[in-house]
Amino acid sequence: MALTLMKGSEAIAEAAIRAGARFFFGYPITPQTEIPEYMSARMPEVGGCFLQAESEVAAINMVYGAAGTGERVITSSSSPGISLKQEGISYCAGAQLPCVILNVMRGGPGLGNIQASQGDYFQGVKGGGNGDYHLLTYAPSSVQEAIDIMMFAFEKAEKYRMPVLFLADGIIAQMMEPVEMPEMVDFKVDPEKKPWACTGWKPGDDPAKRATINSLYINTEDLAVHNDRLQAVYAEASANEQLWENYKTEDAEFVIAAFGTVARIAKSAIDELREMGVKAGLFRPISVWPFPYTHLAETVCREGVKAVLDVEVNEGQMIEDVKLAINGAKPVEFLGHCGSQFPTTEEIKNKILAMKEGK
Amino acid sequence: MKKVYVMIGNYGSGKTELALNFAIEAAKHGRTELLDLDMVNTYFRLTEHGRMTRMKEIRLVSPNFACSGIETLSLPAEVASAFAMDWDTVIFDAGGDAVGATALGRYHQDFMELEPGSLEVFNVINIRRPLAGTVERILHLQEEMQIYSRLKITGMINNTNLAQMTGPDELRDGYEMIKQVSQISGIPVKYTSGRREMLDIFLSEGHDPEYIGTPIAIDTYMHRDWDSWIKGLSD
Repeated sequence: MALTLMKGSEAIAEAAIRAGARFFFGYPITPQTEIPEYMSARMPEVGGCFLQAESEVAAINMVYGAAGTGERVITSSSSPGISLKQEGISYCAGAQLPCVILNVMRGGPGLGNIQASQGDYFQGVKGGGNGDYHLLTYAPSSVQEAIDIMMFAFEKAEKYRMPVLFLADGIIAQMMEPVEMPEMVDFKVDPEKKPWACTGWKPGDDPAKRATINSLYINTEDLAVHNDRLQAVYAEASANEQLWENYKTEDAEFVIAAFGTVARIAKSAIDELREMGVKAGLFRPISVWPFPYTHLAETVCREGVKAVLDVEVNEGQMIEDVKLAINGAKPVEFLGHCGSQFPTTEEIKNKILAMKEGK
Repeated sequence: MKKVYVMIGNYGSGKTELALNFAIEAAKHGRTELLDLDMVNTYFRLTEHGRMTRMKEIRLVSPNFACSGIETLSLPAEVASAFAMDWDTVIFDAGGDAVGATALGRYHQDFMELEPGSLEVFNVINIRRPLAGTVERILHLQEEMQIYSRLKITGMINNTNLAQMTGPDELRDGYEMIKQVSQISGIPVKYTSGRREMLDIFLSEGHDPEYIGTPIAIDTYMHRDWDSWIKGLSD
């Protein structure tokens, strides 16, 4: 298939359409406004709905309503906008609604700035809204990987009846890369497969089969049963849906843990370090919830590994999961910046060299 | 006579890269002004290359800045210097698509008052971009951009590329499609541009020169591959 040159935002939007999304609700915010812009042009071409809501709060509630019909529904925003959506995201999780939420992270807290960042890791994987819930959360490190994840994101969301979150940094959305776009998926809501969805009910139909989209369980026992059900789903997703990449870790003495585009910078540093004779490798979680704890432990907790370096564009968020996985077995150091400054190959290289010399 | 070049084209077609290449070449021969009128995209813009353009003795006019990474997206009064001052070459780099070309409409009167023959409006085309990937889409975009910019396109530039993964197929496929666009619209192909090695392969294939125009080898400043971009961050 022919390659096309696509900006990350356009590619993610097109992939969502090819994966069967026909409803987009959103509100513009840099650095992801090209997603709604692209959707506004493409949705009418495929008979879908693009709606610019009056706010992020409205957009996520439109997602709640549309996802309740079993359709494939998507929304996108960037950090401050995602904060606004948190109430609705928690409602979607509580009502077990499959949907896809894109967060193109920018600098924070508050309005921060418009440059790329990874500051919303905690918000994404530790729960940004209220209650005991999780989102299947993916952190792509290239435009192609973002497309590939999108092509199964809705299926996973539907399988577990939980929202999927893309934790992409601004670089993914803004850079252009040659990509291969998959074929259009033929998607139609099948009421048999989605008995929970509101696909139509009229008086005279079996009242027991009437679907209700709801996150309110006012009775104590009912809420306990509901939470048990959610936890069982999370346990299953956690066991089955971990994705990660190992890069040159087999003989590595120093393992770098990084996600998203930072992992690509780390790879360049690792290649340069290896040329200098320093055995470095990379562990990259692709799913950050569920976090691949065991796989990271298997990579790192063995003879020969001297230390781990966690690199992020924030003040240290994923490092907490990295430390949980390693559980004190190896020293873990941190390199990161806030304010959207990406670490350079040179910086990562120098940090590993300093660690090697025991500084 | 002052030469005024206006670069418009589909979003991501390489207008800025070409504008910069044109300006660097023009600056070797005369006084050159380069105007960044991109009101659409806040990344990948000429304004980021201020230091480089100063070294090449190109006068760069940028949108008004609020602070780093953010501009107020208003057209600076300095744009008037393109028309009022005595340059040898003036190059306008507009934003992508019809929406980007809109900024040019503001200067309609000034463009119309230029000496006949001094204005060239180029549609920069990259058929590897999804919204410029068919003859119909290019024609539609061309029509829209002319309406919004209030300018007639005088020539097309085949700048088909896949960034760092560009091969000879890109220029060849671009040539075939843009040839059809030219035959339908009557707008000539003025240039075919690409990195030297790709251009040489393409030119050796014996295509019709009428649909190649003048071949120009370009250097890439805007769209660097991942590693050189990351290295650039350390500078």
